[in-house]
Amino acid sequence: MIWPILKRDVVLLLGGGRRGGALLPILFFLAVAMLYPFAVGPDAKLLARTGGGVVWVAALLAAILPLDRLVEPDLEAGFFDQWALRGLAEEWLCAVRIFAHWLCFAVPLMLATPIAAVLLGLSGEQLLTLELGLLAGTPGLAALGVAVAAVTAGLRGGAALAGLLILPLAVPLLIFGAGSLSTGGEGGLALTAAASLVLVALCPFAAGAALRAARE
Amino acid sequence: MHGFANPARFLRLARWMTPLLLVTGLVLVAGSLAWGLFYAPADRLMGETVRILYIHVPSAWLGMGGWTTIAIASLVELVWRHPLATIAARAAAVPGAVFTAICLATGSIWGRPTWGTWWVWDGRLTSMLVLLFLYFAYLALANAAQKDGIGAGSRVTAIFGLVGAINVPIINRSVVWWNSLHQPASITMGKSAIDPAFLWPLLICALGFSLLFGGVVLARMRAILADFQAEARLRRRAQRELATGRAMSSVEGAAT
Amino acid sequence: MSTALKPKHQRLVLVILALVVLIGAALLAIWGLRGQASYFYVPSDIASDPPEPGRAVRLGGMVQQGSIQTLADGVTVAFVVGDGKATVPVRYTGITPDLFVEGSGVVADGRLDADGTFVADSLLAKHDENYMPRELEEMSEAQAKAVVAETTAQ
Repeated sequence: MIWPILKRDVVLLLGGGRRGGALLPILFFLAVAMLYPFAVGPDAKLLARTGGGVVWVAALLAAILPLDRLVEPDLEAGFFDQWALRGLAEEWLCAVRIFAHWLCFAVPLMLATPIAAVLLGLSGEQLLTLELGLLAGTPGLAALGVAVAAVTAGLRGGAALAGLLILPLAVPLLIFGAGSLSTGGEGGLALTAAASLVLVALCPFAAGAALRAARE
Repeated sequence: MHGFANPARFLRLARWMTPLLLVTGLVLVAGSLAWGLFYAPADRLMGETVRILYIHVPSAWLGMGGWTTIAIASLVELVWRHPLATIAARAAAVPGAVFTAICLATGSIWGRPTWGTWWVWDGRLTSMLVLLFLYFAYLALANAAQKDGIGAGSRVTAIFGLVGAINVPIINRSVVWWNSLHQPASITMGKSAIDPAFLWPLLICALGFSLLFGGVVLARMRAILADFQAEARLRRRAQRELATGRAMSSVEGAAT
Repeated sequence: MSTALKPKHQRLVLVILALVVLIGAALLAIWGLRGQASYFYVPSDIASDPPEPGRAVRLGGMVQQGSIQTLADGVTVAFVVGDGKATVPVRYTGITPDLFVEGSGVVADGRLDADGTFVADSLLAKHDENYMPRELEEMSEAQAKAVVAETTAQ
């Protein structure tokens, strides 16, 4: 039962229909990485020192873009009611959607990160830490994305409201994730993964409760 | 407890509690601030700047207390569906945000002469700033949910109130977990590293601000309830007019 | 998961999974905090594993008693920061904050120079959790201790 839902979620999130697919956030992510050298000048040393953090900020900003199409279209179309009638717990649906969102947002993001690293003049070693940090942090970011999308589904304000909600909650991921770059860190990576896992464990319940609340 | 679920009984209680809390709070705050600002001694190291303590510390407590109120009320809303809990959570958000902002502003002003900087990115300051942004997010969410009709989206807002509560213990422990520039807590369970000369005005001031906080929350709850009632009345009247209008037009239609 | 399970049981399975994940997160956090880089280096960190000269680091510690001296130019202060185990000499040019006195905590941003002196670009003073009026400080130490004991006993 999980498998067809996951497949459907992935196809929808990749294609996206009228609200844009998985490619848009990635292009936005690269655009932010490109803007930064324009703003601070092409000083290679400065770029290399700060570039890792810029990639993290760009990733967080890009994570806002898909929020208004993660849950809302299905809620509007009544899919969640259908699934509930078939006896599926909302929590499981949200857990599946988190995984699907991770596949469609975080994996392309990690694939695009080497390009951003070239634009920002990061070394191979920095790129490796950055990719590991993103691997540790993006599951939490995806979980948070689905939870915030479920909370704001159907409300006016759309992506801007969702962005305001997700950014303060994502601060620990950013601090530990970007921190692992500067203070050379297995410790930082472990903390990023820990924060990420906490979000992965809790967000399906928050998202599920929000979906049930939206139905009432 | 379910006695309070009745808004009429709550309103009767709140009608005399609100002015009482506000006036007592104002008197206590004014008195203790005068004591703290003019009569309490200067600190051995910080000198006169220590006097900002009397505003900074109570507002920090109430900034965190505001979100704790939101979290408890949200839990009550989610578990027992208590109609007043939603309103209480929403009413606590604005004063909580204001106290958090006051705490950050006074802390910054205090930090400049004592630490030598307006702002540092250490655990305590950062988590408090995150709290302020959580308040903004909560208010925006509550606002957006309310536009779709009163009472709509209150459970969704409550979920966010509970999720955001993770930050409160982080703020509290931040000075212990990280080697921060902000000093550890001066007042812990039954012990105080603050000399009584500072402590008494501080505690009275904190009590006064808490009463003010409670008074503002009650006043806002009454305002929100009045909004609810006004809207419900308008809706009833609109329906009635619609019904009579329809009846009238059908009568007219029949006459022609 | 199968549809044979009621939603309540599906949720229970997910709760158990979530608890396992949370335990995993706690273990990772404990492991990660072990070697946690804090807000600043303390002198014994610098003694045991000195950062290379010129790299920006942040040093935190206590100003050693009797170590503050103002150099001939009048705006440069030299002092020694220690943490009870090791000490580092520090030099700073600029206006010092109010709380910068001997025995107080400081946090300095800067870098080590070649001969092991820490050259600070900025200097922040740390306040401890004790608040005490000036009069109390002028008492003898025994008197002050008695007063403090009295106030903390409540």
